[in-house]
Amino acid sequence: MQLDEFLEPRVLIVSGKGGVGKTTVAAALALVAARHGRTACIAEVDRKGSLPRVFDAPVLSYQPKEMSPGVYGMNIVPEEALGEYLDVQYHMKRISRIFTSTHFVDYITTAAPGLKDILTLGKIWYLEQDRNSRFDTIIVDAPAAGHMLTFLSAPMGLSDALRVGPVQRQAQWLLEMLRDPLRSRVHLVTLPEEMPVVETMETSIALQARVGITSGAVFANGVYSPLLTKKESAALVELIASGDLTTLATEAKAAGLNLDDDDMNAIVGYARFLEARRAIQASHLRILKKGVVEPVVELPFLFSAGLALPDIENLADVVEEEIAEL
Amino acid sequence: MSTRAKSETKHSSAIAELVAHKQVIVCAGSGGVGKTTAAAAIALRAAVEGRKTAVLTIDPAQRLASSLGLKKLSNEPTKINPRKFQAASLEPAGELHAMMLDTKSTFDKVVLQYAPSPEQAQRIINNRFYKNISGTLSGTQEYMAMEKLYELHADGNFDLLVIDTPPTRNALDFLDAPRRMTDFFESRVLRWFLVPYMKAGGGFMRVANVAATTFLRVVKRIIGGEVLEDTAEFFGNLEGMYEGFKQRARDVAALLRSDATAFVIVTSPHEDSVREATFFASRLNEEHLPFGALVVNRVHPKYGDGIDVKPRQLTKLEKGGDDAKLLAKLLDNEEAFMRVVRLEDQNLTALARKVPSHRWVRVPYLEREAVDFPGLVAIADQLFANTSQH
Repeated sequence: MQLDEFLEPRVLIVSGKGGVGKTTVAAALALVAARHGRTACIAEVDRKGSLPRVFDAPVLSYQPKEMSPGVYGMNIVPEEALGEYLDVQYHMKRISRIFTSTHFVDYITTAAPGLKDILTLGKIWYLEQDRNSRFDTIIVDAPAAGHMLTFLSAPMGLSDALRVGPVQRQAQWLLEMLRDPLRSRVHLVTLPEEMPVVETMETSIALQARVGITSGAVFANGVYSPLLTKKESAALVELIASGDLTTLATEAKAAGLNLDDDDMNAIVGYARFLEARRAIQASHLRILKKGVVEPVVELPFLFSAGLALPDIENLADVVEEEIAEL
Repeated sequence: MSTRAKSETKHSSAIAELVAHKQVIVCAGSGGVGKTTAAAAIALRAAVEGRKTAVLTIDPAQRLASSLGLKKLSNEPTKINPRKFQAASLEPAGELHAMMLDTKSTFDKVVLQYAPSPEQAQRIINNRFYKNISGTLSGTQEYMAMEKLYELHADGNFDLLVIDTPPTRNALDFLDAPRRMTDFFESRVLRWFLVPYMKAGGGFMRVANVAATTFLRVVKRIIGGEVLEDTAEFFGNLEGMYEGFKQRARDVAALLRSDATAFVIVTSPHEDSVREATFFASRLNEEHLPFGALVVNRVHPKYGDGIDVKPRQLTKLEKGGDDAKLLAKLLDNEEAFMRVVRLEDQNLTALARKVPSHRWVRVPYLEREAVDFPGLVAIADQLFANTSQH
């Protein structure tokens, strides 16, 4: 697939269960967009996530701010979206302030569930509609998966509840945007582990059945890259079985490296650990690939416990390569 | 379970100590760190050790229920068949019960308890606004989790209750939940705005207010008049119940602060969850809530202290024969994992300043996943045998 095709929809919604690395994927997609001359804006939804830390930028607010060249960040807070809506739609700027200062949205959204999601999606729609906007690509770091279905199906609920009126019409507009793959695309993020895989398969099906959305790709995060060839792996197994690792120690010595028993234990230990983890991951990836119609894009495990821009740049490289192969 | 870990620990782990002495263990941490699994494993082992234990989970994976041998979990504790233990060569001296929080029915029970009459309770329960609360209002689940915990504790049927906390964005939400809920119910601002919808003589001053009227007109347009009527009716019916709610919230807070309770913070070595856990540890401290132990899940194993390989040596190996090439790859791999291990340690240093090392329990990545009963047993072994030498 051409990257231009992948980046054709202006809205890219990145979604998945908590802790699977949605933010990482959202950031990598933004870098990919920026590399291809597009100005991207990553929108977090009502949370103080780790996104600004990745870019070493200050905490995000409702107003988009540039975090790195061509990459902006913002935080869509439903209260502020409601204020903006009332201001634009009803010219009620003064009253709209009340919403942001009290629990109103809590009450109203309790009275009419889904309104919070509608407000968020409404803001995204508003950004998408804005032809004068500087953003070519809007990347939404969506709420966690269980919630995500509710999030994306909110316009349907509202549209059903209100048969007529301006809000009903607006809910229809949101649905049209979500269902049009040339305007918006949902990408799912998962990990090669039991629960995230099961949930991704369920989400993929439910998105189609309940909302009429076919998601674009499934990004499987944190996949360990293969270390050894089959031959090497067999050779290592044999060495370990023989209990004699002197061959390797001799090779080390020839290269000027002294490896004691602890060192040998360490290199063998980590090789076995990697193989064991890879076997677990492979079985989950098999299930995932069988269980979803979307193409699965494997992203490598990053040998770092935090997130930093160079890591995301690496991921963006992989994303570019993998998308080209779709 | 490796025999090495066992011989290293002469004294029992922080978790083992809590299981022996506490009545309530609250597992808290950010989402995706293995909180539910930890809660289940702690409870499982407590049952083996002779305590009559119930684990309260919130929105668990269906797999957890089946790993415990249950088709599904209900809102009342269900006993786990001792045969499950026997199959894993364990002889439980106590009992293990498990339940999953049903927010709605727990809330109904609260309403029934505090409503002045059964009729009024029914009016509330049938109200549409009320029906939405359990599904959408943030904090309801947390509030009801605490409510259920209190109820089970007051019943006194169990020696130990292990509770998993909801997967909130913020691990602390459940601490504030009862207060936030009572604030919500009592909001004067809301009632003031709903005045035109309240029945006459509802006990409110009728205030003719332009802002309120305009506001209502807009809200009515957005969500419809019926919804507003439901809301007004709900709050009208709730009159007189606030004191009961507040008293209960105070009782729950007292239980959480008492000696009977201990908080177990669960985290992974990832930057974000460690940050959350560190913040949580200081919050517990500020709130005088009893900290019990810290569980660090999914820690990469540490083999050795790192091998110092010069680039020159590595290049030489890479250019050598099959064995040399293999060795080069193994050294590369070791270096990569040691980098992760160091980063994880670095991430955990902030926590180490807040939590004394004898309260740490590290659970390494296991060869298998904790998706079945033997998997839970393996995690429990780690939790109980392992004390951390940081």
